[in-house]
Amino acid sequence: MHFSIDDRHFRGLMTESDDLQSDAMRAATADLGAYVDAATESRYEERRELRYGGALLGAGALGLGALAFANPAMAASSKNVMALQTAASIENLAVLAYQTALTLPYIGGSSANEVVKAFCTKTMAQHKEHGKAFNAAAKKLGGKVQTKPNPKYTPIVTAAVPKIKGPLDVVGLAITLEDVAAQTYVNNVGLVSTPDLRALFASVAGVESQHKAILLAVHALLKGGAPQLIALPPKAAKLPAAAGSVGFPNAFYPTKLASPAAEGAVK
Amino acid sequence: MTGRHARTRQQMAITERELTAMTGELDMLHKETFPSVAKSLDEFTANLSHLRTSRHTARRSFLAGVGGAVVVGTIAACSSSSATGSGGTNYTGDLKVVALAAALENLAVTAYAGALTMAGQGKLGKVPPSIAAFVKTAMGQHKDHSAAWNGVLKQAKLKPITGAPLTITAGEVAKLHKAKSVADVAKLALSLENAAASTYTFATENVSSAGGIMTAATIQPVETMHAAILSFVLGEYPVPTAFIGTGAAVHPAALTV
Repeated sequence: MHFSIDDRHFRGLMTESDDLQSDAMRAATADLGAYVDAATESRYEERRELRYGGALLGAGALGLGALAFANPAMAASSKNVMALQTAASIENLAVLAYQTALTLPYIGGSSANEVVKAFCTKTMAQHKEHGKAFNAAAKKLGGKVQTKPNPKYTPIVTAAVPKIKGPLDVVGLAITLEDVAAQTYVNNVGLVSTPDLRALFASVAGVESQHKAILLAVHALLKGGAPQLIALPPKAAKLPAAAGSVGFPNAFYPTKLASPAAEGAVK
Repeated sequence: MTGRHARTRQQMAITERELTAMTGELDMLHKETFPSVAKSLDEFTANLSHLRTSRHTARRSFLAGVGGAVVVGTIAACSSSSATGSGGTNYTGDLKVVALAAALENLAVTAYAGALTMAGQGKLGKVPPSIAAFVKTAMGQHKDHSAAWNGVLKQAKLKPITGAPLTITAGEVAKLHKAKSVADVAKLALSLENAAASTYTFATENVSSAGGIMTAATIQPVETMHAAILSFVLGEYPVPTAFIGTGAAVHPAALTV
């Protein structure tokens, strides 16, 4: 199989992307500190309210009354941690999936399309960064680090791997994982209780959806029997019309497949 | 049949058959997705009295526009238009962000519509079918986004945003008119998509209404997807960073109405 690729151009782009990535990581690390500070502050405020609430209620009413007052605040705080841990579990699974895919000859081996191989390698690294960010935030909020892959989707991926017959199946599986991740994080923007955590989930959702967009385009080209058109830069004139629009099927990103906050929480 | 013929036929097959199928899928997916967005917007408009009076919801003074920043990000740096600012604006609180979002969406629609016109006049050279499909589909989605945000303004008894009343508009339109090729237009579109994505990321952090936050959250990934495909077409790495930043965000003070 012959693939059209301008190696020098592509290597240049990867270097450029790494530079951008380093800049983004510096910013993200700084932002992450802010995310965590804000979330910690929010937690502290919640605890303080809890103490005041308990004092106001008085000793007699403390039992049920304090519980009623405390539950929403504590629930919000623990929901933040759970959402972060579940997100980390999804990232862990994505890393495992790309790692496995890269062991296949037609994804990471000698017969692989270099663009697809490079994309999988880079995407895996980005998922590792996401996992680190989510776990760091969970840890600083007093939660445990999630080191395991997502409990709902891991058995599904494990069952799917032996049935994989070629690049099309791999890309299809990756699309599903990226979509679940993006939908979960979009949904989490509305679940978490602090502005900084909302921004963290949004900033990662946008990247997972970009992975999905490219994978959808690659999938369409593979399905259409035109793998030679998967190149960077692409031969735009030769791309079918569908390649221009297949990458973004919704005007509004859905959340139907979003994982609940507790799905991958550390027990 | 020779290998070349077979390949040509396969390419034609995706052009004709898959495009039709995929266009149908796009419409279906859009219809499936829109109800949940409509719900977010309903929640948004259900709390309009709060939105109208919201004074300071931004920890970083996003809505207040203090600190002398008119517009942040690359577009601001490139803009040559005069900044009339937003003093005396009809749109306040979260509704100012809504108006900004509608204006940004309209600017994207203007850019894509202008590109189609220029392409029709032969000013951009030969336009590949994939680029034409991208422009039409992305423009349609930006129209949907604008309609969603304007729906909120109408519910709030405020004038919907028509056109793109932004300090950056004149500069961006001038860039479009200078475009000589598809690549020039794609670069302009990429900067607009990145600015929109960045603005929505910032909005998720700085808007106070739950409905507004979720609407921004569901639109932001769509803009990043547009950006990824544009980068790919331009031969740039399509997912250059692991996190979508806010550095290219357009500030609400860029709104001129």
